[in-house]
Amino acid sequence: MTTRAMPPIGTVVQRSRAVLVSIAVLVGLIAFSNWLNPFPLTYFDISFLASGGATTAIAAMGQSLVILSGGFDLSAGAVISLVNAALAANMDPANMQASVPLWTAFGVAIGMAVGAFNGFFIGFMRLQPIVVTLATMFIVQGITLLVMDKPGGFISASLGIYAGDAIPNFLPFPIVLIGVVLLLWMLLKRSRYGLALYAIGSDGDAAEASGLPVSRTLFVTYVLAGGLYGLAGVYVSGQTGSGDPLVGNALLLPIFAAVVIGGTRLGGGQGGLLGSVIGAYVLLVVVNILLAANVSAYYSTIAESAVLLAAVLAGSLSRDSKLSEQLRAGLSWLRARNGRLLVSQRDRVDNRMAFAGSATPPVLPGFLTRNAAVLRYSLPAWICLLAVLVATQLLLGNVFTGWAYWDSLIVLSTFLAVLALGQGAVILTGGLDLSVPWMITLAGVMLTGMSAGSDGSLLYAVPVVLAVAALVGLINGIGIVVLGLSPIVFTLAMNGILQGVTLLYSGGTPDGFAPASLRWLMTGEVLGVTPIIPLLLVFVTFAVLLLTRTPFGRRIYAIGNSEEAAHLSGVRTSATLIAVYMLCSMCAAVVGILLTGFGGQASLGMGDEYLLPSIAIVVVGGALITGGRGHYLGMVGGAVLLTAMQTLLAGTTLPYAFRAVFFGLIILVAVVGLREKRG
Amino acid sequence: MLKKLIGALAMTTMMASAAQADEPHKIFLSMSYIGNDWQAEAANMIKAIAAHDNFKDRVDLQVQVSGPNAQRQIQQINAMVQSGADAIVVFPISPTALNNVVKNACDKGVVVFAYDAEITEECAYNVHIDQVEAGRIPAEWLVEQLGGEGRIVAVTGVPGTSVDAERTQGAMEVFDQHEGIEIVAEAVGMWSQAVARTELSKILATRDWDDIDGLWMQAGCFTANAMQLEAGIAPSDLKPCAGEGSNGGRIQMLAEGTEVEGASGAYAPLGAPRISYASPPYSGALALKLAVDVLEGKDVPELTKLPLPIVTSETVQLCETGSWEEMKNGCNAFLPSLVSNPGWFASIFSQDLPEIGLNAALVGQPEG
Repeated sequence: MTTRAMPPIGTVVQRSRAVLVSIAVLVGLIAFSNWLNPFPLTYFDISFLASGGATTAIAAMGQSLVILSGGFDLSAGAVISLVNAALAANMDPANMQASVPLWTAFGVAIGMAVGAFNGFFIGFMRLQPIVVTLATMFIVQGITLLVMDKPGGFISASLGIYAGDAIPNFLPFPIVLIGVVLLLWMLLKRSRYGLALYAIGSDGDAAEASGLPVSRTLFVTYVLAGGLYGLAGVYVSGQTGSGDPLVGNALLLPIFAAVVIGGTRLGGGQGGLLGSVIGAYVLLVVVNILLAANVSAYYSTIAESAVLLAAVLAGSLSRDSKLSEQLRAGLSWLRARNGRLLVSQRDRVDNRMAFAGSATPPVLPGFLTRNAAVLRYSLPAWICLLAVLVATQLLLGNVFTGWAYWDSLIVLSTFLAVLALGQGAVILTGGLDLSVPWMITLAGVMLTGMSAGSDGSLLYAVPVVLAVAALVGLINGIGIVVLGLSPIVFTLAMNGILQGVTLLYSGGTPDGFAPASLRWLMTGEVLGVTPIIPLLLVFVTFAVLLLTRTPFGRRIYAIGNSEEAAHLSGVRTSATLIAVYMLCSMCAAVVGILLTGFGGQASLGMGDEYLLPSIAIVVVGGALITGGRGHYLGMVGGAVLLTAMQTLLAGTTLPYAFRAVFFGLIILVAVVGLREKRG
Repeated sequence: MLKKLIGALAMTTMMASAAQADEPHKIFLSMSYIGNDWQAEAANMIKAIAAHDNFKDRVDLQVQVSGPNAQRQIQQINAMVQSGADAIVVFPISPTALNNVVKNACDKGVVVFAYDAEITEECAYNVHIDQVEAGRIPAEWLVEQLGGEGRIVAVTGVPGTSVDAERTQGAMEVFDQHEGIEIVAEAVGMWSQAVARTELSKILATRDWDDIDGLWMQAGCFTANAMQLEAGIAPSDLKPCAGEGSNGGRIQMLAEGTEVEGASGAYAPLGAPRISYASPPYSGALALKLAVDVLEGKDVPELTKLPLPIVTSETVQLCETGSWEEMKNGCNAFLPSLVSNPGWFASIFSQDLPEIGLNAALVGQPEG
């Protein structure tokens, strides 16, 4: 290789814009927090800050690698917990001077082992990262609880060095640790691996075609990422001096937020590790600001979301950003309108070409041939479901001998089946809606609050709730289409905002009941059948028709395959995308309403457990997370499969830890069936 | 111990000077997740006591929420220390992860109180019930109700937490001693009525109510009773259920036919055979009161073990207004017309807190 010429300084600035902006945001926030605080900024503040954000920062560096490769790693938080528990359970309480390098290597090795598991399925089997790591997350959480079923254990004081000072009163150790990792990253980035990583993230197929070792690179990426989560686990052990099997689980969302604030592009190919470190500290300084400004607890999630959005928006503003593109497009539209050049302003003339002669109707291929692709990807979920049903019959019985099992199964699947339409449509366009949990909760809380248990009030309460949901979806859509923000970022922020709104609306404790008719719908009985079941059949039929037989449905698939191609073919991509997000929010609201009927009342946080399943069922049902492929019936299969699995596990007295492991394994088996044939 | 003594001495001198300056104590509350009824109630009661005439001139309270993330709580406590806290009252997300930061706070003379859950660091004051007992006593009641024999369903809490592990351990020890007791299904209930319902529905997909003789639930008896009614079981045939102290559950325990204002659906007197225990949400308010005591030089034990509130179908009694005076005379369930949320926790009475009653728990208003 010849020596590379230094790129001009302008290019460097342009290329690292996002990082520079996030650094500016961080400095600005620290200054602001300092200004709010009556006490001057001291070395102690800096060292607290350095130590407080280090776990997230280190783990976010690992996540960045995965995201650069175009992937997504949901197992990050679980690995941190596992390493913390493994260390605390295995360190000898009598040995106050346990070897730091040895135990660090132990923790990192655990992380790398989990990473290798992920890497094998993602790199060599080419399964979709989001489901593989979701399965891994469950498995790791289960194993963690087997290692340690409650907080406790012992971490040697010697490991506390990580959270201390490298040079007293001058340099905190976490900074050194992060610095070393960043240094290694700079070397790695310039290596063949680094090049391959960015190439794969930018365009996997092109990278493969150019002869890059895609499988191996992906594998190494997940192993390295796992190692960094492991290091974060070691760090948190040193920082807290003890073990807690849940310590890392809540870190997953902050880790993503940190990566995104740091300017790494979701989808891969652009960004780096430094930005993610800055992002982690931005999140942390916000905690200090909320305290110093004495922001009410109810507003704190709203304030955080605002910071997230502002930081990401600031990093993305430039001439070639989506926003400026949209503005330019809007201006040219206006010009065209003034010049009366728009297609809609011209006279309608039938320009279709006449067919010559009478064409013989084409011979349609058979049903199986026509729908081969759909069946190929939708059937695995249903086949796995059959296996689970047989297993349930053998272990618990009552499956094939009566209606009761089916009734419960279908009622419990309803929530996920409805979500599958919304989340499924969003995923078909290549997006993701993370605002589902608090949209569900807000809908439930609003419904019980407004209706106060009376049936008549449903007539206005339900439309109002759905209208609010449509508004939320509209805002999501506008944020994603017009501001050009990544769907994950915008809907994550929206979730925080909705949480705040729900708390403000309910004053911390939701009021009222579900009206009797709604309760009857979910728990009553007509001829032995719960009334919601026939309605669900109608819904499923409607959803299938909507996605496969309407122009709207076809536009969704077109956008998922290529937004640009769809736009150039005359699809109004912006309007379609906005409609898809509105559909998703409204589906979430329906789930909130149904859940309220099912439970009799609304409770805060009732939507929390539906986020990851809503994504999992769509992917298990055969959809591609990058969009364009998948059938609603497959997703429904995924919903029923997931519910049947949970039902099977709930009927046993297996400890929770084993259940989590099983659950993860079955998800993994289901997606192995979806493996793309490579040829 | 010596350290603790020195710390206490340093604190008393500090506080003496603070008292001279007549400044209110700067007290921070670091809550966990505010997304559930228990947390909201606890927060209301803390705010109420801080607003009571006895305290409002002495306490300057600031409330912050850390969510379910222990890392954030660590940072938050650090920030509180940095901004000059006299005392920090905390609902600890983890009993162990906060140890180092709490130790650091103590070293700077800040009084740290943990409520409901525990902080294992020695210098922290803890206010909570005995969780093993909270598992054991309801389990013993259930075994007695079943005459030592029967098939039961167990619904636990949030896996991986000390509270869940200890309660489950306490109950399982009892069940293991009785050979006739068979646990036919075990589910993770996450301390939520909503989750309890989905989990019970899953269990009942492959089982019938007739196959179940009793239930031990960390939370969810209200829902279990509602589900039995939906399945056509008469109120007089409800299965004995050992579980949490929600107001909905307490109302169900009242004799069938009792007139209560606002009753509807399953939120009504059913004469349900129940034992109702609770981790009382007043613990935060008590922690705040005790923190003020410490700041003003009084002697407070490191562990305040709260009496376990136990109500059975025999001792349940309806309150009319829910004032502290009335609860002192033994009432322990509230009218649905006053408490519209059946999942709301009814164990709000403390002998030591005449400042707060029902209005404190509902809307954060102290007693007059």
